Amino acid sequence: MEFSEKITNRIGGETLTSCYQCGTCVSSCPIARITSEFNPREVIKLAQLGVREEVITGDAIWLCTSCYNCNERCPQKVEIAEVIYAMRNMAFEASNKPAIYAEFASAFKEQGRVVPVSQFVEKKRADYGLPPLQPTGVEALQKILAALSFGKTSSKEGEDK
Amino acid sequence: MEEARVGVFLSDGGGYLSTILDLNAIKSYVEKLSNVVQVEMRSDFSWGEDLQIIIDAVKSGKINRVVATHNLLSLGDVKIVQAIEKAGLNPYLVTVLNLKDYCAWPHQDKPDEATEKAKAILLAAVERSKLLEPIKRLEFPTLKSVLIIGAGIAGIQAAMSLSELGYEVHLIEREPFIGGLAARAGRFFPTDDCALCIQSPCSDVKTITDTSRKCVYRSGFSEIPNLNILTNSRVLSVQGVPGKYTVGIEKRPRYIDEDKCIRCNLCTEICPVEVPDEYNVNLKTRKAVYINIPYSYPPVYVIDEDACKFHECEKCVDVCPTNAIFLDQKPEKISLNVGSIIVATGFEIYDSAAIKEYHYDDYPDVITNLELARMIDAFGPTEGAIIKPSNKQPAKKIVFIQCVGSRDQRHKKYCSSICCMISLKHAIQIKEAFRNMDITICYIDIRTTGREHEEYYERARALGIKFVKGRPTEVTHDPESNKLTVDVEDALLRRLLQLQADLVVLAPAMVAARGSEELASMLGLELDDDGFFKEYNAKLRPTETKMKGIFICGGATFPKDAPTSSIQAHSAALKASKFLSEGKIVKDQVTAVIDEEYCGDCEFCPVTCPFGAITLEPITEGHFVAKVSDLLCEGCGICVGTCPLHAIELRHYRSDQMRAEMQALLSLNEKSKPLIFVFACKECGGTADDAVAMAMKQYGSNMRVMKVPCTGIVRVEQILEAFKMGAQRVVISGCKSDGCHYETGVQIVEKRVELARQILKEMGIEPGRLLLFKSVFIEGLGILKVAKGAIKWLEKIGPLQLAEDA
Repeated sequence: MEFSEKITNRIGGETLTSCYQCGTCVSSCPIARITSEFNPREVIKLAQLGVREEVITGDAIWLCTSCYNCNERCPQKVEIAEVIYAMRNMAFEASNKPAIYAEFASAFKEQGRVVPVSQFVEKKRADYGLPPLQPTGVEALQKILAALSFGKTSSKEGEDK
Repeated sequence: MEEARVGVFLSDGGGYLSTILDLNAIKSYVEKLSNVVQVEMRSDFSWGEDLQIIIDAVKSGKINRVVATHNLLSLGDVKIVQAIEKAGLNPYLVTVLNLKDYCAWPHQDKPDEATEKAKAILLAAVERSKLLEPIKRLEFPTLKSVLIIGAGIAGIQAAMSLSELGYEVHLIEREPFIGGLAARAGRFFPTDDCALCIQSPCSDVKTITDTSRKCVYRSGFSEIPNLNILTNSRVLSVQGVPGKYTVGIEKRPRYIDEDKCIRCNLCTEICPVEVPDEYNVNLKTRKAVYINIPYSYPPVYVIDEDACKFHECEKCVDVCPTNAIFLDQKPEKISLNVGSIIVATGFEIYDSAAIKEYHYDDYPDVITNLELARMIDAFGPTEGAIIKPSNKQPAKKIVFIQCVGSRDQRHKKYCSSICCMISLKHAIQIKEAFRNMDITICYIDIRTTGREHEEYYERARALGIKFVKGRPTEVTHDPESNKLTVDVEDALLRRLLQLQADLVVLAPAMVAARGSEELASMLGLELDDDGFFKEYNAKLRPTETKMKGIFICGGATFPKDAPTSSIQAHSAALKASKFLSEGKIVKDQVTAVIDEEYCGDCEFCPVTCPFGAITLEPITEGHFVAKVSDLLCEGCGICVGTCPLHAIELRHYRSDQMRAEMQALLSLNEKSKPLIFVFACKECGGTADDAVAMAMKQYGSNMRVMKVPCTGIVRVEQILEAFKMGAQRVVISGCKSDGCHYETGVQIVEKRVELARQILKEMGIEPGRLLLFKSVFIEGLGILKVAKGAIKWLEKIGPLQLAEDA
C-alpha cells in the first residue's frame, strides 16, 4: 500500500489527498513564523508523494502545536493538524518518537495525567485560589489502557518498518 | 380494428447469413405463425428490388404489418421504414430487426442455438406486430417571437441574432440600464476593447446615418423595428406551452419618458437628494435622478424610487426643458405572447465579506475586482485614478488576491474560470497607466486557458508585475499608517511574506444571479448544486434545456468570458430559430396516455415526469385525474413504470405489446439454457449488444434482449413476470446514473430493482437473479462478463423453482 494511502486509511488522515498546495496553512501557522523547520504545506506534499522516511523520521511533524489555525483556514477542508496526528501515530509505531512523548505516555499511564503534578503546580493553584487537584482514578484508567494494549503500542516496533 | 396481416421479410445478405443460421428452417417456422400472410427471403430488403417487394405488398393491401430484417448495424431500418411510410402504411406498424448482428454473429460458434434464437426473435416481432396500432402525427402551432431574459452580453447578442433573422424579439432587463456585469467591467479580454459594444445589424442599414457597427449608443439597435427592449422589468409569470407562452411582465416606472429625454443633465444638477453611488463603488455620490455611467444605455435618466421625494420636491419636473419627467408613472403590467424563451440571466460576484479573514466589510481599502474596474474606467468615479477609498489618496502598492471563495470547499468549490484573466487585465491596465505602481498578484494557479490569454500573463511579467504563488491567510490593517498587510507564503521560495499594500483587490467567486431559483421554478427548469441553470447536455446541447422551447446562454449556466457568452448566445438564437422557423412543431404521438377510469388522485406521475408533461385536472368535486400533454411528453415511459394502478400506457409500448414480446422471446429455449432476459433501453445502456456486435465478440444465445424506450418504463411486476415466463436471470441494461437520456429513468429503476429484490427474497428466490447493468457504448463489452458470469452463477445455484401459485 502506498504511504499516502496508509495515511488516508487512518482516522484523521482521510483528507490528505485534497491538498492543492495553496499555502494558506503556512501563512496561518505560528510555528512556521518562527522556524523554517516546520512548513505544513511541505509536510503534506511529502506525504502525498510518499516520501515516507523524511516524514516519519524527521522532526517536522513533532513541531505542530495543534493550534488548528490551518484547519480553520484551509480552503480544501484538509484537516492538517489531524493528518499530522495520523503521521505521528505512524512514526510512533515505527519507534520514531521524541523522548518527551515517552515520558508523557508513562506519566499518563502511571498518574493519569500527561503533565506530572509537581509541588510547583500545586502551589500556583493555591495562589490562584484553585482547589487542590483530585486523584485521577488511575486504576480504572489503567484497566482501560491495558484492554487497549496501550503499553504495547507505545513500545513495540512499528509494523511499517 | 382490422385483423393483422403480417408480412415477414428476411434479408440473407446474399446468402451470407445461411452460413450460420438455418434460414430455410426459420422461414418455414415463420410461415406457420398465425396472422403471417407472406414470408419472403432475399438478399437485402433495405433497398432496390427487394424493398420494392415490401412496398408492393403494402400497396396491394395484402399486408398491414411489416416485420423485416436487415444486416447493418447503422440505421438501415430507417430506409425501410421511410419507404413503407411513403407506400401508405403507418411507420409504427413496421418492425425492423437485425438478425446478423444480434443473433448470427454473436452466436456463430453454436449455429443451432443461433437458429433457435432467431426464431424466438421473429416470433416476438410477429406477436408484437399483431398488437401494434398506428400512431398519429401531430402538429402544434408556434409563434414567431422570442423573449430573452437578461440584457447582458449574452442576451444582447442573442437578441441581435434573432431580430436579424426576422423574429419579434422582446429583450427584458431588470436593471434600468442594459449591459449587465459586462457594462461595469470597462474593458474586455482578449480584445481589449470596450465592454459595452455590440454587433448591431442596423450598422448594415445605410439609411441610418452616423451608425457605428459596434458602439452601443449609436449602433441604432434601439431602432430595430422587431426588437422591443424593456428595462426595469422582470418576469412575473410564465404560462402556456412550448411555441405558445404567455409571459407576465412587470415594468417598474422610470418616471422619465424615454422618447422625450434629451440627456441635458439639468434634472440631476437641480436634484437635492444625494445618495451613495453603489454602482460606482460608493466612491462618489449620485442624485435621486441619475444615470449610472455616461455611456449607459438607454441614454435616459432614471429616478431612484427609494430616494426621490416626488411631489414634495418636483424641482426636476420644473427644470426639464422637454417635459419628459412624470412623477406619477405607475408600474405597468405587460403580457407578452412568445413562442420561445431564452434565459440569459448571467452571473454575479460572491459576497466577499463571507471570507472573513480578508475583512472586505471592515477595511475600505479592501475592494473587489468589479470595484477596481470602476476606478480604472475613465468615465468612472475616479476618472481612472487608482485611489485608496479610505482617504482618496493615490494608491502606490496593490496586492491582488485570487480565488476568494472560488476553489474553496467552504464557499464555492469550483474555479470561477475568468478571475485570473480579469486580474491580469486590470494589473496590465494599471501598470501601463502608472509605471511606478507596485503590483503583486497572489495566486494558487494562474489559469489562462483561452486563445490569446497566455499573452496577458506574458505582458504582465514583462511589465514587472510580481507574482506570489500562495493563497494569503489574512489581511490586516494598521490604523496608524492606514496600510494593509497581506500574510502569504510564497510556496516557490518556501518563505513567509508580509506584503504591504495601499489597496487589496479581491477576485471573488462568480455565482448564479440572484432570483435564478424563482425564475427556474416559473420556467420548469432545474438548477445545479451551485445554483446555476442546468443545460440539457453540457457537451452536445449546451444551450438547450430539458424544456422544449426554452433555451439558455451565457453566464446563467456557469461563469464565462465574453467570447464564450457570445458564442452561446448565437447558439441559443440558432436553436430558438430552428424551433420556431416552421411556425409549427411536428411530432409523432408517441406519448403516454391515461386511463381515466383507473387514475385516481395519487400525484405520483406529475411529480415523476422529468418534462413536466403531466398535470392533474379536476374531473368531479375533489377528484383529479392525470392528463398528459402530447406536446411535452417525450415518450420515455417513466410514468408508466411509476403508476401504482397501471393507469398509464405508452401508445407505442403498451404492456400487452411488451408482454407478448417477452413471452415469445422466452418461449423457444430447447437448446439455449439458462435463459437470461434483458430489458435494455434504446439509448446508451442499450447499445451493449451493438458494442458486442461491432467488436465481433460472442455470447450465449440464452441471452434474450427486449428494447424499451427507457429502463424507467420497467415495472416490478414485469420483472417478476419475466421470471415466471422462464427467465433464470433478469438483467436491466440502462444508462449511467447521470447519463439517462430522460434525466431520471435509470435512477428510478434502480430503486425499483431494490424493491423487486426484496420481493424476490420474500418469495424465496435469490435476489441476485436480478441485475442492473449500467453502461455507455464504450463500456458495452462489459455485458459479456455479465453473460458469462450469469451462466457460472446460475449453474452453481441451480434452476429457479417457482411454486405453482407464484
